[in-house]
Amino acid sequence: MASSAFTRRGFLAAAGGALLLPSAALAAVAESVPKDKRRMLQVNGYALDAETPLDALTTYITPNDLFFVRHHWNPMYPDLRRWALTVDGEVSAPRELTLADLKKLPRAEATCVLQCAGNGRGLYRPPVAGVQWKAGAVGNARWTGVRVKDVLERVGVKSTAKHLHTFGSDKPPEKVPPFQRSLEIEKALADGILAWEMNGQPLPALHGAPLRLIVPGWAGDHWMKWLVRLSPQPEAQTGFYMDTAYRYPKTPGEPGAPVAPENTQPVTELFVKSSITDAPSAAKVGAAVTIRGFALSGAPDIAKVEVSEDGGTSWRDAALDPRHEPYAWRLWSFRWEPRAAGRATLLVRATDSRGSVQPKEAVWNPSGYLHNAWPSAEIEVAA
Amino acid sequence: MTRWRRLAAAALAVALGVAAAGPMLAKAPRKKSKTKTPAAADFDVKLPVLGTSLQEYPAGSGKAVADVACLQCHSASMALQQRLTEKQWTNAVEKMMRWGAAVPADKKAELIAYLVANFGPDNDRFEAPVTRPVGK
Repeated sequence: MASSAFTRRGFLAAAGGALLLPSAALAAVAESVPKDKRRMLQVNGYALDAETPLDALTTYITPNDLFFVRHHWNPMYPDLRRWALTVDGEVSAPRELTLADLKKLPRAEATCVLQCAGNGRGLYRPPVAGVQWKAGAVGNARWTGVRVKDVLERVGVKSTAKHLHTFGSDKPPEKVPPFQRSLEIEKALADGILAWEMNGQPLPALHGAPLRLIVPGWAGDHWMKWLVRLSPQPEAQTGFYMDTAYRYPKTPGEPGAPVAPENTQPVTELFVKSSITDAPSAAKVGAAVTIRGFALSGAPDIAKVEVSEDGGTSWRDAALDPRHEPYAWRLWSFRWEPRAAGRATLLVRATDSRGSVQPKEAVWNPSGYLHNAWPSAEIEVAA
Repeated sequence: MTRWRRLAAAALAVALGVAAAGPMLAKAPRKKSKTKTPAAADFDVKLPVLGTSLQEYPAGSGKAVADVACLQCHSASMALQQRLTEKQWTNAVEKMMRWGAAVPADKKAELIAYLVANFGPDNDRFEAPVTRPVGK
């Protein structure tokens, strides 16, 4: 990678923490993605699905044009000239809100991870049906808009409202069921944002313009794009995308075995996970190399990231980037000095602020959600 | 090209802010985009624009059924990347038929056999097309 793509800012910030051991000092953090890494992997031509190669996910903020794209079908984008958000249901004053109306409310901002529930599906064995994402259906962005709470209070949400039903403008083809969703209103009121900006730019059409729901810490299926209607209701939404899809076993079963619907629950919080974005394929004994990556969780923060060179028996702390906003990802780096020639395997695991530790193996599930096994880097070490 | 696919191409052309960038969009009217496109220096201009490069089903008995029924709603990549058993493919085809895929009753077995033969558990042929980023 071009050294011009890096600054020493991250390093200096980390070096300010005097307790860090030399091996745990944060390596320089990329501030932009080099041109030769700026590309997408198109896993589906239409409906359009594309993931970001891991070696392009090296910056704290994922650029909009490199952010993964997921569609259930070809979207029908709202007519921006006539767009308004309908808010109805268990509210005392149902109404339609234009973007101008929304922009009069207090501005809210959050930097957090958006990850597809199925990120990593392609890594499950035995394989399961669906988009075979590898590890790049994830990104970290700054979302700007208004709190769901401020909107719902303005329309007088009632205490009978327990679930927030969300509707986008897209319509399925043929007899495909509509993508209608709901989430617990407590979560929507606590953290939800209705965003019209992504990384300081108007929200791109591919990412839900003019308005999408941001649900920090929760999987992307809750982050409804092209929002046209919010409806607080006493009961959860029903339909294929609530009752069949986006569900995860309550208890792990046998890989490959079916799971009874009553033994499943909705996918909500992300599982603690680290990914490696940069590692050399070759090294020399005695010459230190750096591996880098990000770590994320449905908990607000990452407590530590560790690296093992002995198959997971012993672990050493990686250095964490000082930037850590709630539900954002945490960049990390690890300086490794090879001591013996041969093929080395470095394993990585993250621990979140609630103490959840990334598992060696992801729990197999019939729809392939929330894959979070330890990632590894294979390095050929020359004498 | 079906109506749905023409719609897809038109929607993509608008969404991506590109003018006639690939074979699918060759007949699309040129539109001036108000959104700022990434500077040429930001990416390799030889790469296809995201959404404009489509893969095809491999030749074989059953391709004609797949070309009609499956391409109604999604590109071939969706199937090309799968690694499913006969049971899983049967479930998938039946689900898609419930959802409106035009699979004639007497062609269902042929389609499933084709999918299993080409995209069975050992399928390792799929490579996602590398594309130019869009949508700043």
